[in-house]
Order: sequence, then structure tokens, then C-alpha cells
Amino acid sequence: MHMPSPGLTEFDYVKPASLAEASRLLAEHTGEARPPLPFMGGTDIFVRMRDGFIRPRFVVDVKHLPGMRDILYDEQAGLTVGAAATMNQVARHPDVQAHYPLLAEAANSVASYQLRNRATLGGNLCNGSPAADTGPAVLVLQGRIALYGQGGEREVEAGEFFLGPGETAIQMGELMTSIRFPTPPANAAGRYLKLGRNKVGDLAIAGVAVFGFPDGAAPFDRLRASSSGYRFRIGLASVAPVPLRALEAEELLAANSPGEETFALAAEKALEAATPIDDVRASAAYRKAMVRNLTLRGLRDIWGRLRET
Amino acid sequence: MANHTISVTVNGGKEYLDVPSNMTLLHMLREKLALTGTKNGCMAGECGACTILMNGEPVNSCLVLAVEADGAEIVTVEGLAHDDQLSPLQQTFGEHNAVQCGFCTPGVLISAHALLKRNPDPTEEEVREALVGNLCRCTGYLRFIQAVQPVAEETRFFRKNRVSRPQFTSDPVGKSLPRVDTYDKITGAAIFADDIQFGPNLYYARLARSPHAHALIKHIDTSKALEVPGVKAVVTGKDAPELVGMYLIDRPVLAGERVRYFGEPVAGVIATSEGIAEEAARLIEVEYEELPAVFGPMEALQPDAPLLHPDLGEYKVANFIFPEPGTNISEHFKLRKGDVESAWPRCDAIVEGTFYLPQIQHVPLEPHVSVALWEKSGQVTLWTSTQSPHAQRDLIAQSLDIPHGNLRVVSPYVGGGFGGKAGVTMEACALVLARAVKGHPVKLRLTREEEFVGTTMRQSLVAHTKIGCDAGGNLLAMETEYYFGGGAYNDYGVNIARAAGYSCTGPYDIPNVKGDSRSVYTNLPIGGPMRGFGMPEIHWGIEQIMDQLAEKIGVDPAEFRRRNCVKTDDTILTGMKMPAIDLVACINKVTEAINWGEDRRGTARPRPSASAPHKKRGKGIAIMWKAPAMPPNPGSSAVVRFNEDATVYVEIGAQELGQGSFTVAAQMAAQALGVPYEWVRVSAPIDTRYSPYEWQTVASRITWSMGNAVKAAAEDARRQILEIVADHWGEDTNDLDIKDGKVVSYKSEREQPLQNMVIYGLPNENFEGWKGGPIVGRGMFMPTYVTNLDFETGQGPRAVVHYTVGAQAVDLEVDTETGQIEILKIASAYDVGKAINPDLVLAQIEGGAVHGMSSAFEALRFDEKGRPLNRSLVDYRIVTAVDAPQEIHGDIVETPLEDGPWGARGVGEHVMVPTAPAIANAINDALDIRFNDLPLSAEKIFLALEEREGESADTGDLFIAPVGQRRQSGC
Repeated sequence: MHMPSPGLTEFDYVKPASLAEASRLLAEHTGEARPPLPFMGGTDIFVRMRDGFIRPRFVVDVKHLPGMRDILYDEQAGLTVGAAATMNQVARHPDVQAHYPLLAEAANSVASYQLRNRATLGGNLCNGSPAADTGPAVLVLQGRIALYGQGGEREVEAGEFFLGPGETAIQMGELMTSIRFPTPPANAAGRYLKLGRNKVGDLAIAGVAVFGFPDGAAPFDRLRASSSGYRFRIGLASVAPVPLRALEAEELLAANSPGEETFALAAEKALEAATPIDDVRASAAYRKAMVRNLTLRGLRDIWGRLRET
Repeated sequence: MANHTISVTVNGGKEYLDVPSNMTLLHMLREKLALTGTKNGCMAGECGACTILMNGEPVNSCLVLAVEADGAEIVTVEGLAHDDQLSPLQQTFGEHNAVQCGFCTPGVLISAHALLKRNPDPTEEEVREALVGNLCRCTGYLRFIQAVQPVAEETRFFRKNRVSRPQFTSDPVGKSLPRVDTYDKITGAAIFADDIQFGPNLYYARLARSPHAHALIKHIDTSKALEVPGVKAVVTGKDAPELVGMYLIDRPVLAGERVRYFGEPVAGVIATSEGIAEEAARLIEVEYEELPAVFGPMEALQPDAPLLHPDLGEYKVANFIFPEPGTNISEHFKLRKGDVESAWPRCDAIVEGTFYLPQIQHVPLEPHVSVALWEKSGQVTLWTSTQSPHAQRDLIAQSLDIPHGNLRVVSPYVGGGFGGKAGVTMEACALVLARAVKGHPVKLRLTREEEFVGTTMRQSLVAHTKIGCDAGGNLLAMETEYYFGGGAYNDYGVNIARAAGYSCTGPYDIPNVKGDSRSVYTNLPIGGPMRGFGMPEIHWGIEQIMDQLAEKIGVDPAEFRRRNCVKTDDTILTGMKMPAIDLVACINKVTEAINWGEDRRGTARPRPSASAPHKKRGKGIAIMWKAPAMPPNPGSSAVVRFNEDATVYVEIGAQELGQGSFTVAAQMAAQALGVPYEWVRVSAPIDTRYSPYEWQTVASRITWSMGNAVKAAAEDARRQILEIVADHWGEDTNDLDIKDGKVVSYKSEREQPLQNMVIYGLPNENFEGWKGGPIVGRGMFMPTYVTNLDFETGQGPRAVVHYTVGAQAVDLEVDTETGQIEILKIASAYDVGKAINPDLVLAQIEGGAVHGMSSAFEALRFDEKGRPLNRSLVDYRIVTAVDAPQEIHGDIVETPLEDGPWGARGVGEHVMVPTAPAIANAINDALDIRFNDLPLSAEKIFLALEEREGESADTGDLFIAPVGQRRQSGC
């Protein structure tokens, strides 16, 4: 077992002038003993560097590249968040607050205020951490991840982005440039419930995003017309190898009229979707129970808000 | 590695710097610009001590590269004051005594400034959330909120409502005066050990540590490390065969033939930079032969358990410590009073339980750091963050065979200690490394992660305790066995087991007692002193059993305690007569403050409602005692000397750890001399070359012991002054007094200002010669009355100097859907004898309450090989500003201590002691479930609820608790 070093290991800091140059730098040295690392906020990679998990020869600062810190909203196109936009930028952006409050809430749940001034939305996702607090929100808001590589840009749906602990769809030589969200359904309500060892600031023991909206409000959805008149989406963090959606719970909610009985059954389905491990933060058994209880709490809350509108 | 030239504006000034790629902004500020107000507390963005403003927004400078600051505008704590005018927040932090050790203060101030800039009128919740990334172990956080609010109010009402500090305070003892160290600590000027500048001559050291919990060292190959450019020397246990320790000299400075815990240092590398030393330390190759390891104290007692210290019989040991060679028992204390066997049949209620507490860490915000210089002349200097400059000098001088006069320990401000910087921890290591590169200062600085591995921890405890009372609620008998998990070395921990033994009943008068307290070696980190020194551990079980006994016989738990608690002049368990205290008054204060009895379970009146249907509310109480645990004769000394303008230097050897010892020293000196508080300066840093002797700053003994020495020194100076003036005036000293810096005669009503006369004396009449001269007062104090105790019975006339007592009540809510606990209110009352500075007593109460609360949720965890699983602030969580209680109500009880200065006794540790059991009792009140094991994690509470619902409910609906259905208490 390795003890972390007191400072950062040696590397060269590189600040490329364009996305193409950044991608070329990353691609050229891929496969080397100390592959280069794209760098935005550093809140995670510097800690891992001290831990000895990574030892890059180059740290490629990409946050200054065009568009990387922009947050743009358009009623038709939806929201585009530059990968290097900080959590605080996301959380306090008026368009995010107005149209994607769930994303703002998730961004705001990460660590502390000063850390959120450095931590980025893109970084939170591309670390591939099962505990990524913005993962569930990005999943239920149907985010698409824009990746730039040697072959130009491609988009990956959030649901296909997370592959395993520390593993994502990002390929060698690629870097994440933005996260795009479709226009949200009208009258939608969302909530991110996070449970940690402290009231706020900790890594999640379990995180549950619940998102609901009246049927027909979303022009496209995975499910066919529901019999409940409402749709719900549920995203989970820190309870499986990747952030994921509780699809069976969502289907159950679409097929049954909303209410305590349905919510309890859906919460049980969400529990079944979770495949957590025992770790230093909590046991698998507790995590599963928390998925159920937080899902239930979220559904009750969202349902209350949906009924008001 | 490339360097970059950057231009950066720091606190308004433009700087052009050459920085390496991997240099953090934190290191740039501290090392390139010597702006040491920004602190290195964790290098992981968790503690917030390094928070600075970058382009107006707070960031953790440990996670920003220096090169990224190119073109940026940086503001550090040194830039908050303008033209010597403190910012409003700096002023209110001072006025509210929102500063203790001062290590977190710069980061907290930066976060608070940033908050008010973006939100000039924040709610309390917003203040707490804005500070969640700034950990503090001293204050309990509530004063931060109180200091932010007036500044926000000023903004709200466009007015300045603060008053300026008093400049002339007469008779300061008993007054809530601002701390003497505030200005340094709110401006970033306070120097901590890591802040001292040594220039390019400085070398750095890093340690190679054992990857095994128990192994023999077969061979160490240092050749690769020595080849690394920049490496100056490598030192192994062969070069440093000395053992070091406090009460039982059992600990090698560097491991010799055997390692006994994961992380034990086996070698050290000295190099020109910390990075090179680290790189080289990783190249040291050690061949180990793994041995079976043992982690729990009960397992270590088994006959087939591996023996950790085969040489236990050879170690030097204090004459009141009794190790058992051939076993893993490093100390066994026996207490026998009355006859328990004949008392049990007379008991109408008996409760018996086994209680467990895991190892926990102190988490001072400042990690351990030492700089050692071994000069070729034989002079040795150690600059270090320590509670124990003099004790450390003594122990190291003995171990390393250095004449005491040649070993100088310099200790500037300490960024929190809580026992973790008492005695000798890693300092001797720095010295043996420096011995290899004579003439160069060598800095050894532990990372936050090493704090959880390579320093001392609070010991674990397994307690088997049985207590009985009669139907009238009178305690009759107690039998208890304490097994402290002492870790790999027990040089200091042995005295914790002893203290737990001679105080084994807690603050109760019990006629028949049989107690056995042992410390046991285990292959885990070194067990050592921590705030409370054995008392938080033993009270955890005792105070829960007292609740259960009260419930069994149908007496209110507060009333049960009033009836049975120890009182003045009681003959306590060791045969000693209890010095004056008033524990009943403490109980009454807290029950009143928390509305005890009006709404507790079992009483007729309605209970207070919880804030939501899925929450349960409960209240709990616990009481405590603690004596300073130390050798029988630890001494204090002090010197008081005047300057020409009658300002005064008070020289002491007691350390300022945040608790306020410098402030009370100044108050007491001013009071005893008769000069205004503002005239007194404390001579710091503590430096064994210049500072008078003080055993060490531990055991809550400083206000009492140092206070007596300061008072004596001031009275000595006062006597000298009065004799000169009396002679001069031809009057009797009995008619003279010193008031507000002037000698006055009650007889002739003459006045003589102290200015000048305290240095130059007074001219005789007609200017024929002079009287007097420079005034220097000296004082000392040492308890001379403590006796040893009988080995077989623990009986003796005077076991300890005195006890401090107090009570704690907790009001909390449990979220039954998650198991999370919210502490609504903590009420505390402690008998401090005399509050020299009432506000600082309340500050200790708040900080201790929150530290105690945090300790209820903390645990070091290890894997099956004894390797730590949560050795960082990411996974070892402590209470934050958001978790801190909504309210802490402190009350001060003052029953004067016979030999205390103005009657004062200490209160630094005590509030920690009963907090965890008070929480457990409140949880039981809310849920009717007892938890015998710490920590009280949300998971543990939730799973216990789930288990009970599984037993009693017939549906699978686990999260809707049947209202009103409660299981009978299970004892």
C-alpha cells in the first residue's frame, strides 16, 4: 500500500493553442509509459497524482480552448455546457437555474464552494467515477457528451458514456469538449438527493436524481405513451460500477398511476437496479436501502411539485 | 521538467516568477514569496487551510498550478488588511474570539470574505455552507457564523456598529478580554513551524515506511536511493539504535530489527528538495520476513498471540507503571475498594455491558513538522510544532545522549494539538536524520496521510463493565475491566490505562469497586494521548449504564446522577478526599438549559415534536470527571520582567495551542502586578534556551499550574517594587498597592507611576544615590502532595492533584429513513473553579462539544493486514460547519480550587469527555436502541432500526416506523 507523496510528481505543463493541437499532443504520446493527461480543474487528477495512480509526462491544460468554459442556452437547441465550465459556473448560471435546476443542484452538491470553483462538469464525468455527483443528472436530462479527437468531433449519449469504474467512452487522443442537453420537457421537476457521511461536502454513499414531467411534454422518450399521465426518470450514483438509470423503476412509474403504492414499488425496483460494493464509506446493504429510501423521498417530493403545476 | 516565467499580481503587487510545472500555487506563495499565512493542511482540497482568492473567487491553492496563475490576481490573508486597517471580518473574528490555534483562520477568513462579496446578507445556513470546505478542529464553528453576521448586518443597515478595542483594562482576571494572539492569527503574521525561513542551506527529509504490520527486517539496501542526484544521506535503524519514550521507553526512532505497525519508519532520506527525498525514499529496498500480527487488545491477550515486545522486561519504565514481561500487557492498574462480591446480592438492579471504541485521530489542522539542526559543535536545535518543548528536550536529550544545555527546542504557534503533539512523536526522527548531515537544517514534514499512520492515535478500548444499585437508586458496586488497544508502542499510552484505572468509576461515589485497567500492545498505529486521556473512552460505557440503571429502577437519569455523583470531601475510589467541586450545579444548569424532563420519554408531558414524520427526537445527559494525569511532580515556572515604559514581558514555557494560554498568562500577570492587561506581552515563541521550565502543555494543567507560577512571579516583582517605593517614601509596604500601573499609598495617598522606576529605580532625596533597579520577578509551582498508589489496591492518600467535573446534555433528531443524526443543541456546564477569561472558557466548551460530537462519528479503519483504509481527509471525515450543532449553550460553575490561581482549574479537555455518551443516551431516548460500539455511523443506526422493524413489523415496509410502538429497553 502506497503512501501519497507530499507534492506533485514531475511533469511538463503544456497549454495548446487549439483543440487540434491538444488532440494531437494526446494522441502522439498515447501508449507511452507516462501518457499525457488532459487537465481542466485538477481537483481529482492532482490527488491521484500524489497517490501514485497516474504519472503523466505532460499535463495538457485544455480549459482555455475556445468554448471549453462557455454555457449557452437556446430554446430550440437546448443547453451546451463547455467541459471545463466549473461547478459553480454551472450552478449559478441563470439559464441552468431556470431550465435545468436539477443540473444546478447536482453541481452544487460537489465538495465545497472553493473546490467547485475549480472542479469542472466535464472532469466530474470523464473521471468515470461511479460516485460522480453530476452523473445521474446528466443521465436523466439525456445529456450527450461531445468528444474531440483526431477524426474530428463525435457525440456519445450519457447512457453509453460510462463503461466501468474509471472507464469511459473517451478514446485515445480524445478530449471532452462539451455536454449538450436537449430542451427539457415543460413543467418538469427534478431533485438530486445525496447521502454522505457529512451533511454536505462528502463523496456520495448514494446519490439519486429523480426527474418527472407530465406525459407528452417531452417530444421524444424511450418509453411509449404512459398510462400514468406522467413520466419519471431516475438516475443513481455511487451504487454500481457506473452512474446509471433505474429503467425498470421508470417503466413501472409510467405504467401505474402515481401515488404511495406505485412509488414504494418503484423505489424497490430502483434498489434492485443498484449493484453496490462494500467500501470504506458504507456497506452494499446500506447503499441499497438508501437507494430505495432516497428514491421514495425524491418521488414524493417531485410528485408534490408536479401536482402543483 | 520545464520552468515557466509568469507574472502574477499578489495582494496588489506585481510579481515576476520562474516556477516549475509541478509547483502548486500554494508552494509558490509559501516558498517563492514567503507568504506563509496560506497554510498547507492536506494537499487534497479537503481542509481549506490553503484557500486564497484567485481573480476574486476562493480556490484551494494546493490544487492550482503556479503556472496557471500567470496573469491572475491573487489575494491571500496577508492582503485582507489595507494600510494597517483590518477588514471588518478580521475585526469581528477578533472580537468574537473566533480564533483559536489560528491554522485554519486564514482560509476561513478568505472564504468568509468571498461569501460576503457574492452575498452581502447571507443566512446562517448560507454561511455554514460557504465554510464547509474549511475544516476547524478548535472552535466548533459557531463563532465563525457569529463573526460573519455583524459584518453582514453592517452591510444591511449601512452602518458601522462595532466598537473599538479597549486600550486600558484594570483587574483583568474574570473578564472576557480579546486574545493576545488574535492580530497575528487574523493577518497571517502568526508563524508556525513550517513557516520559519531557513534559506538555501535547508535540506528536506522523507521517510521510507513499513508496508507490513508485523515483520522482521532482514536487509535494507539503500544504494539506489543514494545514487539519486541531490540525495545527501540515508539513515536506517542501524544508525539510530536509540529508544525514546515518556513513561515506558519502548519506541525506536527508526525501526531496527522489527517493524510493529504499517507505516513504521524504517529509513530516512535527506536531500536538497522534498521531491528528491521522496523519490529516493521509494527506491530503498527492504527485505522483510512477515510475522503474524494481532490487531485487537483481546486477541493480543491470548496465550498464542504473537509477542510484540520480547524485550519488555528490559525497557526503562517509570516507577508507577507496571508492564508484564512475556505478555503484550504494557501496564496493569488494579483498583480495589470495599468488597464487590458481597455487594452484588444487595443490588436490586444490575446492568452489565461490553463497550468498544475504535482508534481515532486528533486531526489538528497543522500536520506535524520538525526542522532539526545538528551543528558540528554539538549544539542541537529543533524547531517544531509541539505541546511539549521542555519534556521533549528532556526525553530526546536522554535518548540521544545530548547534554540538556546543548539541545534547544524552539516551538512557535502550534496549529492544534489535542494530545497529538504531546511528548515525542516524530521529532526524534528529524534529529537522527540531521545528525547525518551536520551543519544543515533538515525539515521533516508529515503529509496529512502520514498523520493517520505515523503519529499517535487515541487508543481503542474494550470495556467490560458491571454496575449495581439498590431500589432507592444508590450505587452499591462496580466491577470493570478496561483493555486499551495501545498500538505498536505504548510509551505514553501506559499512563492512559493507569489514569483510566484510578478514575475507573467515573464521577460517582461507589462503595465497592473492583477495577482492572490494562494497555495491550497491538500491531496498529501508536496509541497515545488525546483530549480527555482515557476519560472519553471509559465514560462511553459508564454513562450509558447509569442511564440504564436509572431506567430500571424508575428514576429520572438526571436525578439518578445528582444522587450518586461525587461531591466535595467524598472519599473517592482511591481513598483520596475529593477537593471542592459542584457537579450537582453542573447537572442542574444543563437540565435547565435543555428543558430536561418536560418532554422526555417516560414523563407525563408531551414530547417535543420532531421536524418531520420520519424523524425522531431525543434528549440525553452525561456527566464526567477528569484529573490531570501526569507524574506526581510536574513543575511550572515563570519570569515577569519590566520594560522602561512599564510594559511587561511574561516569560513562560507553556504553549499556545489555540486554547488561550498566552491570554490567561497575560491576564493573570496583569492582575497580580496591578498593571493594565494591555501592558503585558507574552514572550514567544517558546524556546527552551530562553523560556522558563514548563513540564508540558497537556492534561488541562496550564491555567492551574502555569497560572500559579505566573502569579508567583508577578507577586515577586510586585513585592520588589513596593519595597523600593516604601523605602523611598518611608512608608510600610502594607500600606501600598499597585493600581493601574501606579504605586499608591492608602496612608499618604501618594502616587508613583511604574514607568522608568521599574528599570532605573528611584533617586534618593537630594539626589544622593538611587534605590532599586530593573525589576525581574520569578515564580514557580509544583504539586508536592501527590503520592504513589498501592500496586495491589490502587489506594493511597492523594492519587491526583484535583478533578474538573461537568455535565453535558444533548437534544437531537434521528432521520429514521437514513440513520443520520442532527444535533439540535448541546448544553454544557463545567466547574472551572474560576473563569480567568469567561469567553475563552465558553470557547473551550464549544470547541470541546463539537470535537466530542465529531468523535462519536469517527473511526480509523484497517484491512485484515492492519493497513489503514481511511488515511486521508477524503475518507476520515470530521464534523464541518454544516454538521455543527444549531446551538451550544455553555454555563460556567465556579467552585474555587484550593491551590488554583484565583481558584482556577483547567477545562481544555473535559467537554470532549461526556459528549459521545450524551449523544448515545439521546439516541436511546429517541429510538429505544442502545449502541455499545462507536462510531455512531448513520449506517449503523439505520441497520439497527431496520433489524428491529424486521423483528416487530409484519410488513416489508421498512421505512414507515409504527408510531408509538416501542420495544422495552433491553436490560
